[in-house]
Amino acid sequence: MAEVQNSNPTILNVADLPTRSRSTKKSGDYDYTSGIFAAVPNPADFLSSDSEDDDLLEEPIDEQEIFDLIKLISDPEHPLSLGELAVVSLPDISIKPTLPNVPNSPLQTVTVLITPTITHCSLATVIGLGVRVRLEQSLPPRFRMDVRIKEGTHSTGDEVNKQLGDKERVAAALENGALMQVIAKMMETCR
Amino acid sequence: MSALQTFLLVVDHDKEEAKRIADSVAQDLESKKITLIEIVQQLGEYINDEDPILRGKAVSFLTSVIKSLPPKYLSRQQIQVLTTFFCDRVEDGGAIAGLDTLQRLDRFTKDLAINTAHALFSNFQDLQSRSQSQRFQVYQLLNELMLKHRKALRDMEEISLVGVVDIMTGEKDPRNLMVVFSILKVVMMEWDISHYVELLFDSVYNYFPITFRPPPNDPYGITAQDLKDRLQDCLSSTSQLAPHTIPALLDKLDSTSPNVKKDALNALIACVHSYNPDTVSRYSITIWEVLKFEILNAQEEFLSESSLEALHGIGQRLSEGVTEISQDLPLAQYLRPITKECNEQLQEPQQKQAKPAQQILSALSSSSPVAFTLIVQTVVAPIFTIYQEADGIVKQRALLETLSVLFESAIKVFGQWTTRGGEASIENPLLEFKDQFSDIFGQALMGSAKEEVSFRVSALKGFLRLSTLRDFFQDNEVGLFVQYLDEILLKEESVGRDDLKKEAITALAEISKYKPRLIMDITFPAFVATLPDEDDDTNTTYLSTLDTLAKISVERDIFETLFRRLFSKLSVLLQKEQPGSVAYPRAILMTLLYVMDQRQMESDPNLDLYFDKIVVGLSRNVAEAASGRAKNQILADPSILDTLGRLCNLLVRSSSAQKQQQVAENNTTPDHERTIILSTYLLAGLSKDCSNSLPYTLPNMSDLLSDLVRRSLSESTEPATSLSFLRHLALLTNKFLSKQDLNIAEKLFDTLVSQDPQSLSPAAIRTIFWLAKSLVLRIAPTTTHILTSLLGLLSLPNQQTSLSAARGFAILLGDDDVLSVVNGAQVRLLAKQRVFTTVIPLISSRIRDVNVAGNDDASQATKTSDHIKPAHLTALAGILSTISTALTADSVAVRAATLDTLAVIIRDNGVAVIDQCGHVHSLVMRLLKTTEIKTVSGAVNTPRLRVDALKCLYLLATKQIVSEAAPNARAPASISPLLSEKTHVLRSLRFVLDDPKRDVRKAAVDASSAWLRGVDDAPEDED
Repeated sequence: MAEVQNSNPTILNVADLPTRSRSTKKSGDYDYTSGIFAAVPNPADFLSSDSEDDDLLEEPIDEQEIFDLIKLISDPEHPLSLGELAVVSLPDISIKPTLPNVPNSPLQTVTVLITPTITHCSLATVIGLGVRVRLEQSLPPRFRMDVRIKEGTHSTGDEVNKQLGDKERVAAALENGALMQVIAKMMETCR
Repeated sequence: MSALQTFLLVVDHDKEEAKRIADSVAQDLESKKITLIEIVQQLGEYINDEDPILRGKAVSFLTSVIKSLPPKYLSRQQIQVLTTFFCDRVEDGGAIAGLDTLQRLDRFTKDLAINTAHALFSNFQDLQSRSQSQRFQVYQLLNELMLKHRKALRDMEEISLVGVVDIMTGEKDPRNLMVVFSILKVVMMEWDISHYVELLFDSVYNYFPITFRPPPNDPYGITAQDLKDRLQDCLSSTSQLAPHTIPALLDKLDSTSPNVKKDALNALIACVHSYNPDTVSRYSITIWEVLKFEILNAQEEFLSESSLEALHGIGQRLSEGVTEISQDLPLAQYLRPITKECNEQLQEPQQKQAKPAQQILSALSSSSPVAFTLIVQTVVAPIFTIYQEADGIVKQRALLETLSVLFESAIKVFGQWTTRGGEASIENPLLEFKDQFSDIFGQALMGSAKEEVSFRVSALKGFLRLSTLRDFFQDNEVGLFVQYLDEILLKEESVGRDDLKKEAITALAEISKYKPRLIMDITFPAFVATLPDEDDDTNTTYLSTLDTLAKISVERDIFETLFRRLFSKLSVLLQKEQPGSVAYPRAILMTLLYVMDQRQMESDPNLDLYFDKIVVGLSRNVAEAASGRAKNQILADPSILDTLGRLCNLLVRSSSAQKQQQVAENNTTPDHERTIILSTYLLAGLSKDCSNSLPYTLPNMSDLLSDLVRRSLSESTEPATSLSFLRHLALLTNKFLSKQDLNIAEKLFDTLVSQDPQSLSPAAIRTIFWLAKSLVLRIAPTTTHILTSLLGLLSLPNQQTSLSAARGFAILLGDDDVLSVVNGAQVRLLAKQRVFTTVIPLISSRIRDVNVAGNDDASQATKTSDHIKPAHLTALAGILSTISTALTADSVAVRAATLDTLAVIIRDNGVAVIDQCGHVHSLVMRLLKTTEIKTVSGAVNTPRLRVDALKCLYLLATKQIVSEAAPNARAPASISPLLSEKTHVLRSLRFVLDDPKRDVRKAAVDASSAWLRGVDDAPEDED
């Protein structure tokens, strides 16, 4: 690979990245499934039968979920994830209906703004492509992707955006074997 | 024909005969029938022959004869003559072996050794053109001379030195090189090599790096690592090599191959450890300059680790014998550029390069107390400055972590409170900053915003390290930290995942090992004060308090305090007329149970006290409660009895035989049914030897067992009690029933099974299976009969009965807390396999014939295989078709169990095996059906089922190759059996990506990217 362009970026702590808090319980409640009381089963559980958890509550795809999908992509330069490098961040992700005038349309548009670690990063396009590919593979067909460089964070942001927004050019780029290899490598850490 | 002639004829094809001839000649020599001179004279006509093979054979004759002689036979003079003879003929076959035999004799002199060496050096200049085995012989002889006559060779000085090098130059065979390297190492270490350093260095360094790969089935078993180790021993043998080795090895770090770099680093580490400190010092800064890049721009983790190890090693070597700290020390000079570099990198501690800087500080500061002091003197003050000026909490956190790294080193160098001996001779330099540390970490922990969890966690961990560091904090200072922790646990609301509270508990538990008194004096009163007198259903915070107390009370003294406090709470509760919910006393009992389970109760000096209070005291109270004489009904509650039972069980198990005897005699089957729960646990804790003291067992257990069966059959008993009857029955049969009396239990079983099928209640079926379990686990002689009878229950016409029977198989193989190995139950290792091999073929054959009963059978099959270890999966083909069918079953539980089983099969066997059984297509299709919310047939798949099915699909794509050898290999060499399914799978999964449940979507993303990436026709060409 060519010379590393930004050898010393700032790193966020993984524990500090925004996560979905799983607990729907009130704070202060004690969790029986962990801790010391988990080891002893309640004798009332004797002979359990088939139980249906008819949990019909719908959980729509939200910004946090998009963030979780892309935060683990690795940076092509560092063995670090885009989340740790703050290249992608939760506030810079938005989901809006694609056709606001058609209320029943299931079409949605995901917008992801990318913040390169330095303003002249030549790999910004590759990162953008990587995010795009990851989303295309992971979201249902009714979603439209819009991946862009955040305004004012890159010296040639407009040009990169033009490339990322142009369907033909994206498709052409994805035909390029060498480029796809780089992107496949970035995806390896997604899990 | 003379002996010699016969020898020459047979030596090629009959070694034993040749040996026999040599032996007889040797005997003749001993009995003076022939003289040595005569033998040598006989050789005359052959040893001057033109044919080298014939000459060789003749010389071997002499060698063989000498070999057969007793060691003391040859005189000094004879040895001399023979040596000269062999030396003259050294190039002929057999001569080397002859010399080897001679040099082993006690009368072989130093001069002879010298002559032999001369002969080798001057006649084997062309050694490399000879065969491997000849060369090996020569090296072996040299090696032997090195062992036995080293002084002689050493006195030859440069002649032997150059001779050895000349002889081995160009050697390529690994077996020979092993010998050569060990000879050279001796030369390097013991000869005066000052004029030949370069020659020696080149002679070994030419082989670096070793790229040898042993051929398959190599009979000598020499690995590349063996060669690397020997070569490394040579390179690190003497400091005199340093001017050559160190630059050369550092040069090799420019290589592009990580393996070469690794070998170079390992050799470098070896050199650092064995060269003398002056030499190490001379190169220390050069080494740092080069290794710096390996650490700061780490290519591979292991290279950075080895580099750090080398730096650490240098620090250790330069600290040897240093007692006074001064800036003129070689160590100080070595550390100066390093600390400078680290200080620069730590200016922006939140950035990527700060991490390696921390690692460097950690590696060096842990190398010795002196190094630690020098580093602390230059690093800590600047960190304080950056901390004060830091503009953000991220930066401050990184600094706290850097300091914690130093604290960690301090623990390595100065020890913890409990470390014995090894006091460092110098004062801990951190003491100077003690108050500042206390302020900064205390402020960060308690004074920052509650949401800054990870910042506070870092502060907590740092503070904890300081608290465990030997002779650092005063007790009141650790006490302050303990108070902070108490406050976090008792007063603060939980935030997020409660990481801070979890860390606080861990910290208290850690401190309890070093300063138990502080925990007892500060934490206990604070926590116990928050425990309510009773649970009035409004507030259950006592659960987390008890949880914390349990986790910090594993130390002996603390546990005693915990026990006293909690037991008195419990006693008060038992005396109350209105004691509130039973959840509270149960939680108290569980807390005690948890801690006792963590400790070695057998060796606890207070065991008798606990025994008297709980087993004797509370059991008596239980009896009172059962007969209605107690103040309240706490001790009559089944869940309380269950927990108390477990507690008693544990104590009885740990008690002496005498106490157990006492329990056995008093453990009568109670009048009141519920107390059987407690009674069963007590019985489980008893050792097998007590069987004679059990009540109601005379003349045999027949009446007792029948009585228990009768009670178990009653449908009106509440579940917990009836389970206890069943367990009691099973315990007696499995553990206490003697072999001769087994027929009692077997008869009972037969009576139960042969009842009228219509009258078989669920309770009866449960009883049958528990009785069967207790017999099958000890593999009673009638096991096969029992299993067949159980299978018979499945085909009963009554749907309800056969369904409960199918479920019964879960009882048969499920693990039980009472009938367990810990409790001394007889569980034979092969019992499960026995059940499996008997039952599965029968099920598999039946499932194809009977479609109606299919559901029940399938449920039973999957529940069974839940408990089967993968190693038992011999009849895989049969199982897979069973499983495929089971996936279409109606019951959700059946399908869930099926998916679990399937996941195990895929994980352990891989796709190939499934493919061989020809099930891939149908399996994939059925799994995809299971990922849909509603199938065409109308069955509903719950979210958990969908997730499990997706996980199986994920496993299919990731477990195409099971071998561990090539984890990075992409697709297998042959075309993947999954390839034909790929398009369909990916298309179907796109719709699952829109599942309403988040967990399902997550699993779908994983599965589909695994299929995208992992299922491929061939690796793409790289251009």
